[in-house]
Amino acid sequence: MPDTVEFAERPDAPRSHITLRLIAQDPSVTGDDGRILTAQVKVPWSRIEDGPRGARLHVVDYDVAADEYRKHPALVNEDAYAAASDEVLLTDKTFNAQQVYGTAAKTLATFESALGRRLSWSFAGHHLYLVPHAFAEANAYYSWEDRAVLFGYVPAEDEDDPPVYTCLSYDIIVHETTHAILDGLRRRFLEPGLPDQAAFHEGFADIVALLSVFSMRPVVEQALGRPGKNGRITRMHVHPDRLKAGVLTSVAEQVGRVLTQGRGPLRHSAMQPPPANWASLPQFAEPHRRGEVLVAVVLDVLVDIWSARLETLFSRPGNAASATVDRARAAEEGAKAAAQLLTMLIRGLDYLPPVEFEFADLLDAVLLADVEVVPDDDLGYRRLLIERFAQAGITRPRNRVSNVLEAEVAPQYLGINHAALRSDRDEVFRFLWQNALRLDVPTRYHTTVESVLPSQRIGPDGLIVAESVATYVQMAEMTAAELETISELPLPDGLDPDTPVQLFGGGTLVFYQFGRLKLHVYKKVDDWRRQLRRIEYLDLSGRRDRAKRLGYSDGSARGQAFAELHDTNLSSGEAW
Amino acid sequence: MSTPVRVRVRMYQVGFGDCFLLSVEYDAPLADGRAERHLLVDFGSTRKAREGRAPGRMSDVAKLIRKHTGGALDVLVVTHRHKDHLFGFADDDAAEILRALAPKRVLRPWTEDPQLPVLADAPAVGGLAAEGGTGRASARYAQLLADAQREAEALSTLTGLHKEVRAEAAEQVKNADAIALLDELAADGRGRYLHAGADAAVGDVMPGLAVTVLGPPTVEQDPRVAKQREEDPEYWMAALHASLREAARTVPGDGQAAHGMSLGPGPVRWVVERLAAQKSHSVARLVRDLDDALNNTSLVLLLEIGGLSLLFPGDAQIENWQFTLDRLAEEPELKSRLTAIDLYKVGHHGSRNATPRALHALWADRPDELPPMTALMSTRQGVHGKTEATAVPRSTLVTALGQVATLHSTDDLDQGDEFLEVVSDANTGPFVRVGA
Repeated sequence: MPDTVEFAERPDAPRSHITLRLIAQDPSVTGDDGRILTAQVKVPWSRIEDGPRGARLHVVDYDVAADEYRKHPALVNEDAYAAASDEVLLTDKTFNAQQVYGTAAKTLATFESALGRRLSWSFAGHHLYLVPHAFAEANAYYSWEDRAVLFGYVPAEDEDDPPVYTCLSYDIIVHETTHAILDGLRRRFLEPGLPDQAAFHEGFADIVALLSVFSMRPVVEQALGRPGKNGRITRMHVHPDRLKAGVLTSVAEQVGRVLTQGRGPLRHSAMQPPPANWASLPQFAEPHRRGEVLVAVVLDVLVDIWSARLETLFSRPGNAASATVDRARAAEEGAKAAAQLLTMLIRGLDYLPPVEFEFADLLDAVLLADVEVVPDDDLGYRRLLIERFAQAGITRPRNRVSNVLEAEVAPQYLGINHAALRSDRDEVFRFLWQNALRLDVPTRYHTTVESVLPSQRIGPDGLIVAESVATYVQMAEMTAAELETISELPLPDGLDPDTPVQLFGGGTLVFYQFGRLKLHVYKKVDDWRRQLRRIEYLDLSGRRDRAKRLGYSDGSARGQAFAELHDTNLSSGEAW
Repeated sequence: MSTPVRVRVRMYQVGFGDCFLLSVEYDAPLADGRAERHLLVDFGSTRKAREGRAPGRMSDVAKLIRKHTGGALDVLVVTHRHKDHLFGFADDDAAEILRALAPKRVLRPWTEDPQLPVLADAPAVGGLAAEGGTGRASARYAQLLADAQREAEALSTLTGLHKEVRAEAAEQVKNADAIALLDELAADGRGRYLHAGADAAVGDVMPGLAVTVLGPPTVEQDPRVAKQREEDPEYWMAALHASLREAARTVPGDGQAAHGMSLGPGPVRWVVERLAAQKSHSVARLVRDLDDALNNTSLVLLLEIGGLSLLFPGDAQIENWQFTLDRLAEEPELKSRLTAIDLYKVGHHGSRNATPRALHALWADRPDELPPMTALMSTRQGVHGKTEATAVPRSTLVTALGQVATLHSTDDLDQGDEFLEVVSDANTGPFVRVGA
């Protein structure tokens, strides 16, 4: 037994975090010194084996084109690439493994810390496989069937040059990892739904990618442009218009730019506010274009928050154009604004309904979750969010949330075990059954409680806000003719009355720490106007399965949902 | 002077492919004594017709064309170099007949210009680009496209790839025999290599016919035809070519050994075995991208004669069409011409990505005083598309076309129907089916 406690740390000793050098955006983005822009990123650590392979992520470096498998060493706290040259970063496959593991781990941690719990993948298994050199193709995607995110590479035209690796782009890794996480949180969002639902996966993945890149200070500094000798930049450099058109755009333009065979780069349209009547324009029925509406709204909010945070930093108050601000501080504020906004958005995910997503649900969910954690909106973030969404024509929905604590008729808890209500699906179903009338949940449809999860966040007083969140889904199957009868609404033009349709409804139940219901967020299965809107959209966009049914899952493999979204012909909105 | 009195369009049963004959009849003999002129659009097939239909053998179709043209072809249009549009030129018997028909003009897209390779290595200044034609970027693009086709050829025989993927790759190969014959037919100044806005110059061989070339744009005209990255339009094609080359070079593993390295009994083995199947998926996507790129080299022709107008867009997809769609906002005249067409050759055999919704929207708003529109679709179900969404023809499109036009499909023809014929007065329209 040693007689003193040893504080000197071995590089492979267990820790909570390790610091890794990662490419901050994309190898084509360089810093003041002309070298690839990198950042020191704190990555949550678990015991790591060779692969690298931690508790939730496993890098499997298998290349199908070359039929080669490489096992890379475990990551330790002594970063072997801390001072590596650009050439090494671009060509060393072990660094590539570090880049994907570090970035994906950081992304998962961002979601877990915002939601206050471990997040499961939507497949059966604890490891998401990261395949950094999957195939020779400028493409990257989340493949549910393979429990993996696959990254391709583009061989150089001159065979002596190194390939372009998509796994070196921070934003691509974040985007694809977000698909996997989101699928774990709301697996039914890949079912045929309303147009907003198909758009959400792409839009949200782009948002998380952009905000993650933007929450790294070195990236923001570069985007702000070169400072004067004293390291300061003028007010003009950080004018909101320039932050939007120059700074954010220059970052966004790089997003996904090496992907040519897959989803392709983020488009300019994502940076522009949509036209006021976007919801009625046919090109916005297309998921990719529609998702850009969300991206545009969030970027506007980011600029608002950032601008507000900059105000106190200027050398002189007022609007003097000659006022200056320290570039590093300005960048710091931008990075903080991005990180805060990202956390705020992710927190909202737990309050989304499990099915039938619409954009307004996101706004509502984010606001609901934010009120829990930050009751006083002193910084005005919620107000900004409401304003910017409203400008895009998205307003808070009515009749989709019940504040149960203030309801006239309180739920009945007789025979309900409160402790079990926090973890047991059958107990939650029993609760739902007992209170079906009070909660206005029709029992004639097939009903399943799909998840019961704990959630903990740090409140404004530093104390823990503990909740549990359960989701239930209802399903109805009928013919279009039956739908017409039951709804007393006309069917979409040209729809065969014999078409089988599947309808979804459901809700999210938020219980506070003592197992009492606090909120009920719902999409009623018998909201016939919404159901007909969905059926009309699915019919017009031809989303039928092989038996020509509407609303049933597509028949194509689950992972192909993403490949579909990435087709340029489809994303033009001109396809059938 | 002779004026056109009747216009006839025949759509031949070729299985999965395209073959259309446009015939113009005049009120009096022209200078050579013939009172008719003929223009053939495409002559290809990849699959014979379905059970219970005329088989559509290319040599039989060639004989029909000889009969219908009286042995003389005035204009030959080959929209692009896919097998389903030119395979007939590689069939010995059919080729002999077509050669004897001796077309006086051969219209092909700019990507087929035999002069292009010279241009690719030419200095950046001046050249054809200055004349509003094909510049260096276009030449490079066409070069890469041809290179990519060569890689597809290697993939079409690569063992270990899924059979269907190999078959798809085979449909992208160069059809060297067919192209050799076309080059021969186009020799001595008969060939025209067209881009959007180019002059097809067929008025002398087909009096009264005006040909407006709507596509394909060159890379200089619209970098989007080469997809993405305006600062480097060829990047996409270069990446595609390099990826196909890489895919063609290596033999896919059986996922057991991975170059002799033991994978152990753990999850890595599971992942590697699953990923082995991704090789075929990846190649299938690359081949589809090449397929799209070749489709986008399609000639999009608006043919106007007398009071009639006919739209033949080959297999052009959105990147090609976008150039024309963008013009509509500023050119109301072009917009009304496209709105008022009498006949539409359904793009790309009725697949989901070749009849832009914006174009269909024009027809949905057609003024009532216009004669009804006719749509001709040469297709065969059950060849392409595994899901409802990717099936050819696409059911939502077929329904939508049926709402704006009288739609005829080769897939609906009977055993005895070797072709479908529509005819119209040259001045008034509409086209009506003969013998129906």
